[in-house]
Amino acid sequence: MSLSNLIKNWSTLRVKRPYEDQYKDKDYKWAMVIDLDACTGCNACTTACYAENNLPVVGKEAFSKGQAMHWIRIERYWGEGDELPKFPDRGAQFLPMLCQQCESAPCEVVCPVGATHHTPDGLNSQVYNRCIGSRYCSANCPYKVRYFNWWQYPERAWPNPLEQQLNPDVTVRSKGVMEKCTFCVQRLVEAKNRARTEGRRVEDGEVTTACAQACPTSAITFGNLADSKSQVAKMWERQQVDLAKDKQEKSDENMRGYRIFEDLRTYPSIVYMERIRDLQA
Amino acid sequence: MSSSKIDRRDFLRVLGISGAAATLAGCGNTSIESGAELVESFVQPEDFVVPGVGVYYASTCAQCGSGCGVMGRVREGRVLKLEGNPKSVISGGKICGLGQAAVQVHYNPDRLTKPMLREGDALKAVSWEKAMGVLTARLGSGSSLTGEQIAFLTGEVSGHQKVLLANFLESFGSTNHVVYDALSPAVGHEASKAVYGVEQPVLQIDKARLILSFGNDFLGTGPSPVHMAAQYARFRKAPRGTLIQVEPRMTLTGANADRWYAIRPGTEGVLALGIAHSLLQHPEYAHSISQELAAALKPYDKETVAEITGISADAIPHIASLLWEKSPSLVLSGPSAEGHVRGFSNATAIHLLNLILDNRGKTLQGQANHPFPQLSPVSGSYAALTRLNQAMSAGKCQALLIAGCNPAFTAPTFVPFASNMSKVPFKVAFTTQLDETARQCDLVLPLLSPLEDFGTHVAGYQPAGVELMIQQPLMEKLYPETKGFGDILVDLLKQRKPDAYKAFPDYYSYIKTAVLKAKPVFKSKESDDNFWEDALRNGVLDLDLPAAQIDAKVSAIKVGAPQAAETGMQYPFYFVPSVRADLRDGRHANLPWLQESPDPLTSVAWDSWVEIHPTTAVQMQIREGDVLEVQSTTGSVRAKAYLFPGIQPDTISMPLGQGHTGYGRYADGIGVNPFKILDPNFEEQTGELAMYATRVIIKKTGENAKMVKDEGPTTLQQGRKLVVTMAADQAELAKEITRVAQ
Repeated sequence: MSLSNLIKNWSTLRVKRPYEDQYKDKDYKWAMVIDLDACTGCNACTTACYAENNLPVVGKEAFSKGQAMHWIRIERYWGEGDELPKFPDRGAQFLPMLCQQCESAPCEVVCPVGATHHTPDGLNSQVYNRCIGSRYCSANCPYKVRYFNWWQYPERAWPNPLEQQLNPDVTVRSKGVMEKCTFCVQRLVEAKNRARTEGRRVEDGEVTTACAQACPTSAITFGNLADSKSQVAKMWERQQVDLAKDKQEKSDENMRGYRIFEDLRTYPSIVYMERIRDLQA
Repeated sequence: MSSSKIDRRDFLRVLGISGAAATLAGCGNTSIESGAELVESFVQPEDFVVPGVGVYYASTCAQCGSGCGVMGRVREGRVLKLEGNPKSVISGGKICGLGQAAVQVHYNPDRLTKPMLREGDALKAVSWEKAMGVLTARLGSGSSLTGEQIAFLTGEVSGHQKVLLANFLESFGSTNHVVYDALSPAVGHEASKAVYGVEQPVLQIDKARLILSFGNDFLGTGPSPVHMAAQYARFRKAPRGTLIQVEPRMTLTGANADRWYAIRPGTEGVLALGIAHSLLQHPEYAHSISQELAAALKPYDKETVAEITGISADAIPHIASLLWEKSPSLVLSGPSAEGHVRGFSNATAIHLLNLILDNRGKTLQGQANHPFPQLSPVSGSYAALTRLNQAMSAGKCQALLIAGCNPAFTAPTFVPFASNMSKVPFKVAFTTQLDETARQCDLVLPLLSPLEDFGTHVAGYQPAGVELMIQQPLMEKLYPETKGFGDILVDLLKQRKPDAYKAFPDYYSYIKTAVLKAKPVFKSKESDDNFWEDALRNGVLDLDLPAAQIDAKVSAIKVGAPQAAETGMQYPFYFVPSVRADLRDGRHANLPWLQESPDPLTSVAWDSWVEIHPTTAVQMQIREGDVLEVQSTTGSVRAKAYLFPGIQPDTISMPLGQGHTGYGRYADGIGVNPFKILDPNFEEQTGELAMYATRVIIKKTGENAKMVKDEGPTTLQQGRKLVVTMAADQAELAKEITRVAQ
């Protein structure tokens, strides 16, 4: 999409979203479900993301300054409130945190150059060669899942021959550019093109993200929410989470689905399922 | 073509490509400029290589001994990424972070690319011919070495490499294959063998309604973590099983427990017997064991057990009644229970619970008796290393060959392996990268990476039937002067036993012949060529076999009077080293993805640290980042303090795997090596190193430094509802839609 296209289509790009049945007649709306009772915090997803998306290893010093580029990270909490329990006797609280691909994304509205915008298939995209590094998007992101290239990583993160591992389907980002989880858009584009060539829609299970593919407990489910027969759409429906609502009206309180920071009205595309603990034990 | 402008469609017609083949190119899409079309070259250099398209080949992950089937994504002749192989029973199409990082073993910038030969103090690069010349002069047809004079020291090795290795030693009249594992499971294996008659029973985690685990980290560092994780996922679906974990320092598995108990290190067996004593109060179990044994359990009343273990007295009957209520259950023993002077009796006491609860045949089964026992690995032990160390010290060892382990880094200080190596006149290392041990050798042979080499593997832990894993190269070798371990062995054997091996030009032809010999076992009606191609394509050869029975040798369980853990005022803290699922014994510290992957429990990366309970830290006025000196009778190390609630308050813990001094740019100078402060405590029954029995004193150095960690200023959710927890009795898992088979 060129800049002239962007200006021409400004009204459709900056529409108030989401609205009911926004994706009803669309081919694609990519979404995810993460089951926190299945997640063990093992870090398989995070490493898979490094391999798939050419994430640079920043090294000890940059890591200590919070400059790690992990598009998906495992957060670990010890308590729900303000008090540290003496022992974590119900285990740890693991949270795989990645870009929530918000439908009403706080990052999109503050970008001065339209580098981050919403795609027709419901992704919050980041156009690297348009980004000027203002970092407003990162400041405005409540999930803190945007990562800035403070250094020229292509010069130091892949000493020869490590660069041969780089995925040719994914750009290597340079200094001064913001980046984040793309729901493995390179895989989505390939699957969509293949399907379009064959005159059909991408089938459920035909494409998945690197994190979901690796996950040893299958805690992550990825798919097309616009396809009501997809696993992910069925899960959203059963969990009674509506993409276009900021307060879910659940007739079944025992369903575990929720979205993080819904009250900020970001309308995330990721449903988390509550962790379960046997409190009789 | 009248016009000089040839469009894509014409071009395809010229090449005679139409129909399905043409769709490969994505014809019918709008334009290349819009980015909607995949651009592909029509010049296809080799069979199966389509520029711009990733192709997947099956192989086997060699990062640990689990033997997971993997698929390597290959594009333009380069391997880019590994995924799980869905055809593999062991991996089930999944892969862990350690497995992902296998591509960094392959592309590591510190790979060894040429043979190295010692010249005085230094290793100098030499040609392969020169290296093989030196090797065959010493160990070729003219060698007169025999028996104990030659030793082959390896990590866990299986498949035909193991067979060739044994055949090579046999040609010297030697059986001196020394299998060393710094994180040896030997005590656990011996205890299982004594009670169940098998070293590694198959755990049916998904069939258990309650798992009581004494420090068994089956999700992180157990024998087959990817397979166990898939089982765990089913265990957590309706009807949801409950996990109780008892350990001095929280492991990844403990972090996923419904109830986690911090126990005083070494007293796990006392707690197990206390629970056994409590179980016998239930009429159902009253007659499950002999009167004699029941009488021996009498002193293990809950107050005594609580006093010794630090677990509250109420918890003991509570756990017992949960075990009674949720049947079938599964009780597991793990390294932190077994790595003590009384580790063997701890483990057998834990196994006693399975016998009382009658879990045999339900959640615990024997591994199938399979037709490839000669390909199964020998599990490593500490005892093997000390025997070799003594032989070296006495000057008996004339030639030492080392592959797949790094004792110079992992051996404790009181096993002076590195200095005794100098008494061996000829030391050869086979490795993909120089490490602390290889640097002391006289000859270092650069191996192909596991992604460049052929091989067969049979994992020690076979969850169902048996899976013979096929490893095949995922790309051409990166460096011309590297060679496969199997190829070197075949070359040597051709010198030693020309008649037996002259038929095999290389290792590939050897394993192909060997696998085809096994064809009748798989009842295949295919031709030899098809059978072999299928084996390569699938990456696995599976044999469905019935699970074996396991014994219940109650007589192996000796119950003495309850003994408290030893205390010592001079060294007031128990020292519990922790094993990271990614770095393991340190062999993966050279992989940058794993260095940058934060430890799941502490979020620390690129470093070593000292875990201390917050209440203890407050008493000692220790803050996060305070540099502490951790001192045992053997030695001391320095690292930053990290306040960690998942630890028994009289215990401190440090992760293993860091502190390298000669293992490449990503490992060297990062953290410290706690192997070097382990005290000489030994398990009384097996003689294995009691890794969790060291006691230490900690001293503040007055320095403070910033932690290298991922977590923010708080470890608490502060009411933000990030990770919401639901009570198990409220959740209605049966109504949910899930991908995991319930």
